[in-house]
Amino acid sequence: MSKVRVMFSPVTRLSGLLSVDVILEQGRVVEANAGGTMFRGYEWIMRDRAVTDAVYMTQRICGICSTAHGAAASYLLDELYDHELSENAQYLRNIMFAADFLQNHIRHFYFFSLPDFVKMPERPPFHGQNPADIRLNPEDNQRLAGHYFEAVKAAQESHQILALFGGKAPHQHSFVHGGVAAAPTADKIEQALALLGNISEFVKSRMVPDTELIARVYSDYFRLGITPPQFLSFGLFRFGVKNEKFLWRSGVLADGRLYPPRLELISENITSSWFEQTDAEEIKPAPLKPGAYTWVKSVRYAGRYFQVGPLARMMINGFYQGGAATMDRIYARTMETLLLTELAREWLKNLKPGPPPVSQKSTPVKKAVTAATDAMRGALLHAALIEDEKVVKYNIITPTVWNFSPKDGLGGRGPLESALAGTEIPSQNMLFTILGRTIRSFDPCISCATHLLDCKGGVKAEAVF
Amino acid sequence: MQKEEFSKICRELSSGGSHALSRAILPAVKEHLASHNKKKLPVIWLETNDSGDNNIAFMNTAYPYLDRVFTEMLDLLYSNTFMAAQGRDALSILEQVSETYKGKFTLVVEGAIPKKDNGLYNIIARTETRCITALEAVTRLGGPAEYVVAIGTCAGFGGPTAARPNLTGSVGVRDVLDREVINVSGCPVNPDWFVGTLAHLLMYGRPDLDKLGRPTLFYGFTVHRHCQRRSYFDNKDFAKKLGEIECMFSLGCMGPRTGADCPYRQWINHVSWPVKANTPCIGCTNEDFPDGSSPFFTPMAEKSKGQEGGKNASNQGGEQA
Repeated sequence: MSKVRVMFSPVTRLSGLLSVDVILEQGRVVEANAGGTMFRGYEWIMRDRAVTDAVYMTQRICGICSTAHGAAASYLLDELYDHELSENAQYLRNIMFAADFLQNHIRHFYFFSLPDFVKMPERPPFHGQNPADIRLNPEDNQRLAGHYFEAVKAAQESHQILALFGGKAPHQHSFVHGGVAAAPTADKIEQALALLGNISEFVKSRMVPDTELIARVYSDYFRLGITPPQFLSFGLFRFGVKNEKFLWRSGVLADGRLYPPRLELISENITSSWFEQTDAEEIKPAPLKPGAYTWVKSVRYAGRYFQVGPLARMMINGFYQGGAATMDRIYARTMETLLLTELAREWLKNLKPGPPPVSQKSTPVKKAVTAATDAMRGALLHAALIEDEKVVKYNIITPTVWNFSPKDGLGGRGPLESALAGTEIPSQNMLFTILGRTIRSFDPCISCATHLLDCKGGVKAEAVF
Repeated sequence: MQKEEFSKICRELSSGGSHALSRAILPAVKEHLASHNKKKLPVIWLETNDSGDNNIAFMNTAYPYLDRVFTEMLDLLYSNTFMAAQGRDALSILEQVSETYKGKFTLVVEGAIPKKDNGLYNIIARTETRCITALEAVTRLGGPAEYVVAIGTCAGFGGPTAARPNLTGSVGVRDVLDREVINVSGCPVNPDWFVGTLAHLLMYGRPDLDKLGRPTLFYGFTVHRHCQRRSYFDNKDFAKKLGEIECMFSLGCMGPRTGADCPYRQWINHVSWPVKANTPCIGCTNEDFPDGSSPFFTPMAEKSKGQEGGKNASNQGGEQA
């Protein structure tokens, strides 16, 4: 039987531009090459800039998860300048970070994922939706489609909490190195609590039951889109004077055992990526490179691929004991959303009204710093080499790079590509529908993923280069 | 509603408890549509090289909220972010609507356009045999569009995507099209600026534009002019560090040469803006953002000395403070 090649492009309803080159044989996906098709060269852009610009500059890597980059850059600068963080600063930072998580997860579930399972009204931007395999009964379908429009406000209110303290969103301004520049006044805390009340209500009465219904009706997706059970997280929500405590632990989960992550075991590869090595220390973009198919590089830990994201966090922290399939990823994200509404409320209650919890020192104590945290989509790493408070090199490894790693020439597939390979496609008409569900379950962000620059691979814990 | 009245509402400072700025837009549009028997604005939205922050900013629109924008203002015919269709179904829709609505659709471009290597740094879609670059798509759709709107500073002027060293040779939409482009800049755009501009197009056609192609009703005055901390500036009372209540000119504020109405419009349902959060304006609506604003926390006169990145170091089209 001959092989058929189908280009799944554009994969809509995600952040950034993605094309997946699919090879089919006898109604089964035998290979999938996922191509991130945008490149901005952000690590080059970061060079020669004042390192204190990193918080605002790196947020502009990503519109849907900007606070995560701002947080990573702030942690990095906290270490560089040896800052001490007050308890109030940490509560406020985490409230802002959680608000952006809520925004992300609600928008991902309703705007990006839901139209994979629910028939939307036949008008723009939903016209031409392929109705194949829409299984909800008309009454449930109509209710869930209606929730798409209710999600508009819940997500907007999440960003309103972020803007209350951060001045604007995306790309908030006040979560900076040394703490938070805005004052947590009683009126803002009260407003944030009121907004959070609305969001919590939405998550409890809509998002959770909607997810459960979809999980029930599409329960076969607990057996589809399976990745090897290897999960990684850099931990989430910092506390302590030196950012030394995590609320949710970091970890590497493989072969049923949990290890602490060791950053020196991370390696990158450009075999299938549009880059070429110019010398030992430098690579450059090469959009015409034969055999390459993406701007995303391969990243591995101890020579193996790892899945990152809400499912990884929930697994590593022992909150979820399920599989590693498409529906597990969707389910874990909703579960995390619910947990975050509760945590944010607790933090808002612990936050003490008072002056801006920020204190910045002006003399760097290091030349090379690394910050690792989890972002909405999973593990995020920023690393910088600094000279005279200017960036010499800035390296970023985003979550989508872990999940959308292309083949590295040593065999084996990254999480997304392995989740797609082997998928049965009962009719040609369902190809995009089925694969789209699995692709989106990773909540890909291609704008984030395609900025990589590193030398030869091998990220070291303290000095990255 | 007459054009003058509409512009007045958009310009109006907040009074009392009501931020009537955008809340007034939707009823006005509905009334206008009803009385003029017009259809919704047909929009083709191309995402090119940016962070996707502008589509997120658009989702943050309040009064009208996004759902009502979809149902009552726009027909979003193609959008990588929102459309339910995917793969070649989505691409067929793009081909079909660009033909059906030829001369009538508004092309919204979100992101800069890489020109180096024939634009291969941004491919909006691929088929089994070829790649469609942002450069090709914008060039092809720019001609038959009734209006072209560049949303965000990347699409307008290159923005962070074209920041030095600009490896991808990225430029704003105006540099690849030989026609007028309405620039709704900002990093990201304030949803009011964008939704308000589309409302203007729908009801009255092209709004008045400044030298940089931006609607004067949003960008016509500098941030500095309406800043709540202006009295501190006038008294030369400057903040020494972040978190203080004085003027942040000393901390790099770009307000004096940034055209935008942030001080009174504010962000996300009008709750705050960077200066209110005790941080400087970084001039994100400017033609030379971010290079002309960096280092962000260094006073204006000492920023980016000798840098060629600042294409236009003079006043950015906003009224001089």
